[in-house]
Amino acid sequence: MSDAPANQPDASATSAPAALAINGTAIDATFAEAFPMKATRLVITAHTPTWAMHAANSLAGFATSVIGCGCEAGIERTLAPDETPDGRPGVAVLLFAVSSKELAKQIGRRVGQCVLTCPSTAVFGGIDPATSRAPLSDRAPLGSGLRYFGDGWQIAKMLDTGNGPTRYWRVPVMDGEFVCEDTAATVKAVGGGNLLLLARDQDAALAAAEAAVAAMRRLPNVIMPFPGGIVRSGSKVGSRYAGASASTNDAFCPTLIGLSAHSELGAEVGCVLEIVIDGLTDADVGAAMTAGIGAACELGRATGVLRISAGNYGGKLGPYHFHLHALAAGLDGGHA
Amino acid sequence: MSTNTGTTTLRLKTPPGFRVDAAALRPTTLASLSVAEIERIVLPGGNESCRVGEVFEVLRNADAPAQSPAETTLPATLDGNGNAAPTLVIDGAARWLDRLGAEMDGGRLVVRGPAGDYCGFRMSGGELRIDGDTGHFTGCEMRGGRLTVNGDSGDFVAGALTGDMEGMSGGTLTIRGNAGARLADRMRRGLVLVGGNAGAFAASRLVAGTVGVAGELGPHYAYGMRRGTLLLAHRPAHRLPPTFTNGGQGFDVFWSLLVRSLANEIAPFSQWRAQRLPVRYTGDLAVDGRGEILIAG
Repeated sequence: MSDAPANQPDASATSAPAALAINGTAIDATFAEAFPMKATRLVITAHTPTWAMHAANSLAGFATSVIGCGCEAGIERTLAPDETPDGRPGVAVLLFAVSSKELAKQIGRRVGQCVLTCPSTAVFGGIDPATSRAPLSDRAPLGSGLRYFGDGWQIAKMLDTGNGPTRYWRVPVMDGEFVCEDTAATVKAVGGGNLLLLARDQDAALAAAEAAVAAMRRLPNVIMPFPGGIVRSGSKVGSRYAGASASTNDAFCPTLIGLSAHSELGAEVGCVLEIVIDGLTDADVGAAMTAGIGAACELGRATGVLRISAGNYGGKLGPYHFHLHALAAGLDGGHA
Repeated sequence: MSTNTGTTTLRLKTPPGFRVDAAALRPTTLASLSVAEIERIVLPGGNESCRVGEVFEVLRNADAPAQSPAETTLPATLDGNGNAAPTLVIDGAARWLDRLGAEMDGGRLVVRGPAGDYCGFRMSGGELRIDGDTGHFTGCEMRGGRLTVNGDSGDFVAGALTGDMEGMSGGTLTIRGNAGARLADRMRRGLVLVGGNAGAFAASRLVAGTVGVAGELGPHYAYGMRRGTLLLAHRPAHRLPPTFTNGGQGFDVFWSLLVRSLANEIAPFSQWRAQRLPVRYTGDLAVDGRGEILIAG
């Protein structure tokens, strides 16, 4: 989901100097508003890293926004053989949905179509209930639904590979067996953290956003679900057209600076890009936002990175508020 | 009454002269009793009975010095809350003590010496260690926990009572020596490992679960095996059952998970490696046919 900054205080924000600037890049005195979601981590392993990545890319494809995709998903990181349950190379994928029911539905569909089908893969739950900092939610079916593909030839096996007895399914497929865990632990997570990067032109905005996403991807427990981690079509709630629940965020469209009464942009802004962050906990989202702010500000105003803002709904809809000034407090030039 | 999380020791004083049902000697139960109360516990034995105090000297914590260097280095067993689980040591046990650890659900029971029949019968949790041989029906219908026999065991290890439909359905049972006939008969879930040989009809009528035998097998192994896994360290002297067929390839992932799950168990199972795939046979085709024999040697 992308966010709509619908509550920027007044028109003076378009030109008033920000109270905080790092390396010449202004940090708006605003906050990102995020929402509770249900999430899980799946560990996909395969005979080679390439095939694990093929499956992960397929599973996390078309999963940019819960609005139209059912879930938001992304690759968290690659895993070395000594980090996976079966000792093969793997990829950790995070999936986020608005409810446990929808998350279970998406897991079943995506693993069934994208992992079960992919040569040599196996899939395991990646949330350890014993160490998870995110509050645990239901266990979502994994192999318990997919096993029926085995047409009666499937076998269940309880094994303790170090995390207590775990039930696995062995489903015969044409390259051997598809092995998957029976269920996957899910957690109560946080979705919709965001940053808006306001730049002089598209080159500067892309460079800043790419640097921010690269910094965020070095952190655990978060994904940036949009293509390349970046979204250009930030949205606001509502539309002038009946039936459209969301529409373009005209306040941040540079072609509407002189047209939209709600424009948040000064004339020097030529391009705005947004990064949406989903994380297992609010601390994870906050850490990722801090990393993103730091990376974008490192480029600074000299490269055309003018302002950093965030989207919110006035604080009335989402319980998680990420204040940019607080997040930037530890960065060079920043203060709380 | 508060629970004592230390060690209670029952040291054999006078054998009663008849077989005794020792199921009442559960570590969690005795931990909440005083020494005097423990001494008053009545142990039935057929038409006779005896009190614990008549048979055993009851010692608690510091009163009971360690009997061996191994005892002093026993790792602490923790309960679900991370607290040290109560330990009961039966010192000088003998074959007339039946049902040791029967239906125990927690704590640790260490038996120094041999034990009788039905050790760990329907136990569901905790740790039962027997430093000697055991009789028949060891781990019979066991549901959870860990049972280790450092000697040999009799027949029907991990099996079912006569007429019952399910044998062992959870936990880990290790026999370092030999096991008798009908090992894991009707077993449904869990892990059974035998460091020595197994008698006739090993893994017979296995519903599911994993059975490993390091030594030789008697005849008719895997008879009527529906599902589950029979692990063999080497090809058995008795020919494979005719109702088993070649199990093919492509089970590498399962094997790597299985090998990992055996890493902390006894040799040779702990020494198996994921890279070295076993030979696989599937059966028993006379029944469900989804069982497997994996020969690692």
